[in-house]
Amino acid sequence: MTASGTLVLDNGASLLKAGLASHKDPLVMPNAIMKAKSERRRPFIGNQIDECRDASGLFYILGFQKGYLVNWDVQKTVWDHVFGKDCLGLNLSRLNVVVTEPFFNFRSVQEAMSEMMFEEYDVAGLLRANAGDLCVAAEPARPDNLCCLLVDAGYSFTHVVPYIQGKKRREAIRRIDVGGKVLTNHLKEIISYRQLHVMDETYVMNQLKEDCCFVSQDWRRDMKQAALPPADNPILRHYVLPDFTSLRRGYMKPRDSAAAPAAEGEQLIRLTNERFSVPELLFHPSDVGIQQMGIPEAIVEAVSACPPETWPHLYRNIRLVGGSSRFPGFRDRVYAEVRALAPDELPVKVTQPEDSVTCAWRAGAKLAGESRFSSRLVTRAQWEEHGFNICLDTFDV
Amino acid sequence: MGSRVRAASYVVLDEAARRRRQRKALEALELDNFHDDPHANLVMHKKAPKFDESLDGKTRPDRKRKARSFEYFKQRFRKTFSSLLEEEQQLEPDPPNYTSAAARPSARPERHLCAVCGFPSTYTCVQCGTRYCSARCLHTHQDTRCLKWTS
Repeated sequence: MTASGTLVLDNGASLLKAGLASHKDPLVMPNAIMKAKSERRRPFIGNQIDECRDASGLFYILGFQKGYLVNWDVQKTVWDHVFGKDCLGLNLSRLNVVVTEPFFNFRSVQEAMSEMMFEEYDVAGLLRANAGDLCVAAEPARPDNLCCLLVDAGYSFTHVVPYIQGKKRREAIRRIDVGGKVLTNHLKEIISYRQLHVMDETYVMNQLKEDCCFVSQDWRRDMKQAALPPADNPILRHYVLPDFTSLRRGYMKPRDSAAAPAAEGEQLIRLTNERFSVPELLFHPSDVGIQQMGIPEAIVEAVSACPPETWPHLYRNIRLVGGSSRFPGFRDRVYAEVRALAPDELPVKVTQPEDSVTCAWRAGAKLAGESRFSSRLVTRAQWEEHGFNICLDTFDV
Repeated sequence: MGSRVRAASYVVLDEAARRRRQRKALEALELDNFHDDPHANLVMHKKAPKFDESLDGKTRPDRKRKARSFEYFKQRFRKTFSSLLEEEQQLEPDPPNYTSAAARPSARPERHLCAVCGFPSTYTCVQCGTRYCSARCLHTHQDTRCLKWTS
């Protein structure tokens, strides 16, 4: 298995990351078909959205539902665009493909994925893996990372997965049904109620969430501060909404202009407690009525479900990946809460890679060049002889 | 005058109705879109079934096989999430599986936030059970949302 002969495809519900393993960076684009009100002749597939002049009221068609791939029509359309001449320009029939799947992926979806790859795209070899497995396997083995606790905060949900000696412990995996989608929808709802009807503006609100939201280190203190009058309020900010004629992308106004009135024709959104109460859902899903524990408690539960001798190793190596882990302050908050909940004598260390979104892709690209990974591929010949059963035996998803 | 009108049609939602509303709110959080497809009424519909993929007559020898196998896929694998989940639950009834991996309720108490302004709330609307923090937020709630869209 060579790097230039392998395509790594991190197939996420929100963003798709694809590229040959020999490339430095993957192509990152929305894994969806989007329809704009203004452009009635064509839908926008993946990164074609950059060509859209007016991205207001974008209608999203996602292949994923609740984190699992159910709509193959949409997915194939997006993949055809990614592999076609506009993007990567690849013919998969000579390539090995590494593709990611969510944890506990349904059997029939696994079948469909394998068949789609071998029958429709004619790949030379296939490796299906969980994105988290790739992240963990790519780390060089050191005495302090025999075990790893991975927190994958994605679009559809957040998984807490303990890895013991490189292998995930299935009975200890915990899933919190809060992800980027719930956060953006909640933000849309509260802004629509309080200020301006934005329920249709998923694209713009997602940008707002990424630009303005942060994770609070002390919820009570920040709530008090957000309620102060504008002059003393460190949290209040205004966000300028794009109007797609003069301004294509919104931005957050700096602190000192908080008191200044809106300029001519600017539509402003006033943000106080929304800035941190939205990402707070990852730590307290009960704030919106989702009766599940937050990330720190789930970490402690996941570790407790593993054998006691692994606990020090797991707490010492907690890794945060996934798009929703990119909020400022996320790492510090997870550390503080886990440190408070974990047993005193065990050291706690929480790390984040440089780029949480492309982490799994980079891991896959690195592994593609290593010989130990080729034994985990299912080749075309094996598929033709044994069919899906060989996938069941070879892949650990 | 306002309170007289309200007294005539004084409705208090019971526990079941409140839970139904909560469930609807949670389902709303899972939606991809809140508006309809803007291209739904187009005469020339992009999503119309393409019976002949190559309109210009260029067909590769194995094209027919590929087109047929993809149509076969779409029929075979067209399932909703809930039917997929049911199927999976039958295949893997014992933990660890998708259902057993779900995080359980938190040990910490729920925090109540005002539905209107988002700050911590201590009071609940008598009629519909929504939380609010102050008299001003209560009036906003009663004027705009209380018992509108009752389900």
